[in-house]
Amino acid sequence: MTIEVAGLSKHFKVHRRPPGLAAAVRSLWRRRYDTVKAVDDVTFTIARGERVGFLGPNGAGKTTTMKVLSGLLHPTAGTVRVEGHQPFRREPDFLRRITLVMGQKQQLLWDLPPSETYALNRAVFGVDPAQARQTIAELTELLGLAGLTDKPTRQLSLGERMKCELAAALLHRPTTLFLDEPTIGLDVAMQVTIRDFIRDYNQRHDATVLLTSHYMDDVVALCPRVIVIDGGRLIHDGDLRALVKTMIPDKLVSFTGGVPAEEVARLGEVVKAEGGRTTVRVPEARLREVVSHVLDRAGADLAVEDPPLEDVMRKLFKDKRAGAPAPAGEPAP
Amino acid sequence: MRLGYYARLFGVQARASLTTAMQYRADFLVQGLTSLYWLGWNLVPLLVLYDDRTTVAGWSFGAALVVMAHFVIVRGILEGAINPSLGAVVEQIRSGAFDYTLLRPADAQFLVSTARFAPWRVLDVLGGVGLLIYAFVRLGQAPSPAQLGAGLVLLGAGLAVMYGLWIMIVATAFWVVRMDNLIYLLSSVFDAARWPASVFRGVWKVVFTFVIPLALMTTFPARALLGTVTWQAGIGCLVGALLVSVAARLVWRLALRSYTSASS
Repeated sequence: MTIEVAGLSKHFKVHRRPPGLAAAVRSLWRRRYDTVKAVDDVTFTIARGERVGFLGPNGAGKTTTMKVLSGLLHPTAGTVRVEGHQPFRREPDFLRRITLVMGQKQQLLWDLPPSETYALNRAVFGVDPAQARQTIAELTELLGLAGLTDKPTRQLSLGERMKCELAAALLHRPTTLFLDEPTIGLDVAMQVTIRDFIRDYNQRHDATVLLTSHYMDDVVALCPRVIVIDGGRLIHDGDLRALVKTMIPDKLVSFTGGVPAEEVARLGEVVKAEGGRTTVRVPEARLREVVSHVLDRAGADLAVEDPPLEDVMRKLFKDKRAGAPAPAGEPAP
Repeated sequence: MRLGYYARLFGVQARASLTTAMQYRADFLVQGLTSLYWLGWNLVPLLVLYDDRTTVAGWSFGAALVVMAHFVIVRGILEGAINPSLGAVVEQIRSGAFDYTLLRPADAQFLVSTARFAPWRVLDVLGGVGLLIYAFVRLGQAPSPAQLGAGLVLLGAGLAVMYGLWIMIVATAFWVVRMDNLIYLLSSVFDAARWPASVFRGVWKVVFTFVIPLALMTTFPARALLGTVTWQAGIGCLVGALLVSVAARLVWRLALRSYTSASS
């Protein structure tokens, strides 16, 4: 196992203060602290070469977990092993095997071209010059960095900068990748580029990938397995498709024209109808019947899709909070 | 092997600082002029003070000028090599960008201490050396090789003390997050190091010798050059420097453990 987490908890002491100037003045000498359980008794393992999506609402504890896994934070309780090391010891051998990409922070030197950061990382990670050249050539090709790495970072667009950030984070060829919102703020085309690149890197180097993203498409496209946490607790760990099927056992069937309005209502619940295209929600048991019916009427312009992962997540969190039993988590492949 | 590794790392970081400085040519020029201005301005209080007397607390004008020259040199090093990086760390800790420093397989204290230089401060240091030469010409004497050696060793010890103090201040940023004011305070206090330590009396003498050992930073190296330092005092300086360095390392390591990292 590349990543082993058992009973991990991370608690923070935070300073609480009611609003207002009077309270602010009082808090100068008397402070009340509350304990926040950012991560609470979380257990999972990830095998070499797996790509795992790490999901949860804002503040669920995703980033905290990633920081513990990459050695930035001391766990409050529990044991963590990554690449055979205890992360918080920050041993050089461990740090050379992992990387953490944070979409909202940057390591590139702001006033200098990314190539200067690469030179720094090459020296810091002790990468052999020939290997560094080869890695940079490979990353340049895969990410389309040509012409970017010699411009000062501050002159790059957000998307260009993110590509350069990824290259800086991967220069030492880590085998475990922690990616925290690597596509945040990027347009769809750039998201696809980054996604393809991550998959490619994973396959080329048999690298383990743990990814968080607000864009469910990233997760659907990249991660066969998802770990879901909410309020610091693990609420699902298993196959993504199985989760979708358990939570919303319906399919979305969409088609253009051909089907009279009164028949559409009988097919299933209409989710969307715009621009002449109708989408209905159909229980899986009736899928075959509905599809053949629509095909008879509407011809070939028909699509069957899983419900969006956003809906699945919303339902999962709602059920959890209402105290419904968790869906049976399937063992990871 | 480790030494070679850190030497290489130092080289890369220094080159990045130099490249950054070169990118802003106008800034480079302005900084150079500012350095010259301050060099001149530093002399004013000294000239005023010695206008109608020949000695102050036993220090002649020439000897006081030697202390002043040390002050200019040490401040040049402080502003050029210590403040830029360590000031940046405080900001990094607040913003969470410090995470990337901790993700690198090298000593974090080394990485942050060498992260940024202000190369034009070399002008301050050169100005200080010029002032030092002028002071000795005025005194009509020259330090012997042994005095020169002792002066350099004690200057090194003084710089170690200053660096240690700054590291401890920065380390407190791990606990309290905002530390800017303490850095300003220390910079202001350091300004007193322009005077020979024996000028100060009473409580200030104790503070500047033991709490913030300014005497170690400028007065003792200057006295070594002038040949007026006892070897006991010299050893005392070295022991003090060692103690401060060890304490700084311990405080830094302790502080690192309580780093909480800013949210994403």
